[in-house]
Amino acid sequence: MAAVNTIIELEETQKYFPVTSGAILKKVTGQVKAVDGVSFKINEGETYSLVGESGCGKSTTAKMVLQVEKPTGGVIRFNGNDMNSFTREQRREYRASIQAVFQDPWSSLNPRMKVGNIIMEPLLANQEVPKGEIKERTEQLLRDVGLHSFQADYYPHEFSGGQRQRIAIARALSLQPKVIVLDEPVSALDVSIRAQIMNLLKQLQDQYGVSYLLIAHQLATVRYMSHHVGVMYLGKMVEEGLTKKVFDNPRHPYTRALIEASLPAHPDSQREGFMLEGEVPSPLNPPQGCSFHPRCPKPTKECAEGSMEMGLIEVEEGHRVDRCCVNCG
Amino acid sequence: MAQTPVLQVNNLKTHFFTRSGVVKAVDGVDFTLNAGETLGIVGESGSGKSMTALSIMGLVPQPAGKIVEGEILFNGDDLVKKTQAELQQIRGRDICMILQDPMTSLNPVFSVGNQVIETVKQSLAQTGETLKERAIELLHKVKIAAPESRIENFPHQMSGGMRQRVVGAIAIAGSPQILIADEATTSLDATIQYQYLELLKELQRDTGMAIIFITHDMGVVAKMCDRVAVMYAGKVAEIADVRDIFNNPQHPYTEALMKSVPNVEEDVEMLYAIEGQPPALDNLPAGCTFAPRCQYAFDKCEVQFPDIVQIGDDSNRHTATCWKLSEN
Ligand SMILES: Nc1ncnc2c1ncn2[C@@H]1O[C@H](COP(=O)(O)OP(=O)(O)OP(=O)(O)O)[C@@H](O)[C@H]1O
Ligand SMILES: Nc1ncnc2c1ncn2[C@@H]1O[C@H](COP(=O)(O)OP(=O)(O)OP(=O)(O)O)[C@@H](O)[C@H]1O
Ligand code: SF4
Ligand SMILES: [Mg+2]
Ligand SMILES: [Mg+2]
Repeated sequence: MAAVNTIIELEETQKYFPVTSGAILKKVTGQVKAVDGVSFKINEGETYSLVGESGCGKSTTAKMVLQVEKPTGGVIRFNGNDMNSFTREQRREYRASIQAVFQDPWSSLNPRMKVGNIIMEPLLANQEVPKGEIKERTEQLLRDVGLHSFQADYYPHEFSGGQRQRIAIARALSLQPKVIVLDEPVSALDVSIRAQIMNLLKQLQDQYGVSYLLIAHQLATVRYMSHHVGVMYLGKMVEEGLTKKVFDNPRHPYTRALIEASLPAHPDSQREGFMLEGEVPSPLNPPQGCSFHPRCPKPTKECAEGSMEMGLIEVEEGHRVDRCCVNCG
Repeated sequence: MAQTPVLQVNNLKTHFFTRSGVVKAVDGVDFTLNAGETLGIVGESGSGKSMTALSIMGLVPQPAGKIVEGEILFNGDDLVKKTQAELQQIRGRDICMILQDPMTSLNPVFSVGNQVIETVKQSLAQTGETLKERAIELLHKVKIAAPESRIENFPHQMSGGMRQRVVGAIAIAGSPQILIADEATTSLDATIQYQYLELLKELQRDTGMAIIFITHDMGVVAKMCDRVAVMYAGKVAEIADVRDIFNNPQHPYTEALMKSVPNVEEDVEMLYAIEGQPPALDNLPAGCTFAPRCQYAFDKCEVQFPDIVQIGDDSNRHTATCWKLSEN
């Protein structure tokens, strides 16, 4: 196998949001540890997926990679360069290399712009494109995501939810960036269009070597798309590695619960009962000790009291699990 | 199960009048929903699922959109004939909807607690609880952790899935007779989704609420629905009990849709997707709207729109709209 280059690397990246109270004179009364020391690498031409409980910090992690949110700790590197000490030139290059599809497409599409202009905006802001080519490329992009070429003249409100999501995808693709952050790009699409877009994303990856940071709740989507997967729980990475290894041999009890709770797509194969007991924890007030212990099937005294050492250890090649929970599942 | 229809939609047509022509977003939709029943609406993106729901709610986008034909009978009363003021009464209390886009239902300048409390106000009074307690309890039910402090959050301080659950909490606050959930679980991970769906089932058992679930997730359909309507280009292509849709699909579009559902346990090179594009709703083909993509299409399909065909005897309420079915 050819050596793979890392394009983006996160090291102990952290984002704490201040919690304030009081209506006018805001007083900081605490912190939301939205992302609490997360490390992983996105390789060139590969897909890294983040999965995990709603609210565990996936979108915040993605926003830090996009430089929409500023980390409160740790380092993020692009081609080995620390983003904190980017030169102006490096910053410009980075902006032109990365695009995003957000979880809420509604908020990211300018309602006053025609769809054709929305799609071509990132490209035209970064490159000279011959006038004659613009129309052709817009139409090709629209067709790629399953829309009609004449819809370039429509406004976003004239589209359904899934159609708007596809506009956002076409926009992200227009510049042919090196990295695309995809925050739940296909969950609002019907299964056939979803398949069409995932096939397209994969094909672009094979053709141009694009890297994806994918956030998705549908495990089938993750399995199909990704080379590596990271499972987050309450701001931390609890299991990580090659997708196949993590899915075939999940070791962390949360990963297991996540896989087991995926709904079988047939009324005849429904399962009864649910294994993940206990309260959903809050990053406003994370539990002591192992953050998973209140819901763990068999926590030890150390897990609960916090003398336990946390952090990922390798359980097999290309598969790492939180050392506290390796044997809990 | 009780067989009283709470909702009957007959030949509903909702069109948009735009500069480029008439967009037939909903074009002759029929279905019946009984009390305590859950109907799933699935189908192509852009096929009119949300517009069908918004028509029921009296919330079709103005001024371009209009219900041009049909009836929506809620306990026998035609909602199409009601004034906006009357509909507003019904919306807050009897029929509630979780909109596909949570950000349009939440006001960014008010705290989440504020917005939940506003809804609770309208449905409470008889119980001794304070409004705030009830709001916290609702957020707790939808699995928002530490609801006592979350109640102070503004929508942008919450994650996508949390916002979606807040909108869900607002919708169930008054125990409506009909709950319409439009893509209400897309931002939830499997474990929270499971618990949330169980909550809705429990509520349904306790109150006899009927649910319309609009979703692309066949897992959600399989777990939740009694009946399923499959929509294509503004029409119901097929409607049947959930098992018949999965085990015995009759319409070629349903068949193709089921084939596109990916399997978590399998590793595949390419996913199956239906060839071709869905039709533009302001420029529909003559004949069957699925014909350009249908592997069974024959002469007649291109000329005339197919009749509704009853599958089996009428006790199983299974119908599909396709020439292939009436030809043999
Ligand atoms: N304001 C509008 N003006 C013109 N056409 C519109 C407008 N709003 C929606 N439409 C069209 O109506 C059709 C139906 O839209 P609807 O939102 O009901 O689709 P949907 O089935 O809910 O799709 P999705 O699964 O993508 O949410 C779409 O094809 C859309 O393009
Ligand atoms: N601007 C903000 N101010 C305060 N807290 C925030 C802000 N943005 C996010 N948070 C908090 O950070 C935590 C992580 O949120 P994030 O959006 O990253 O979750 P997520 O994993 O993407 O969840 P989902 O799957 O529901 O989208 C949540 O507790 C959220 O409330
Ligand atoms: S009517 Fe003809 S084209 Fe339409 S779905 Fe049936 S066989 Fe296919
Ligand atoms: Mg998110
Ligand atoms: Mg919709």
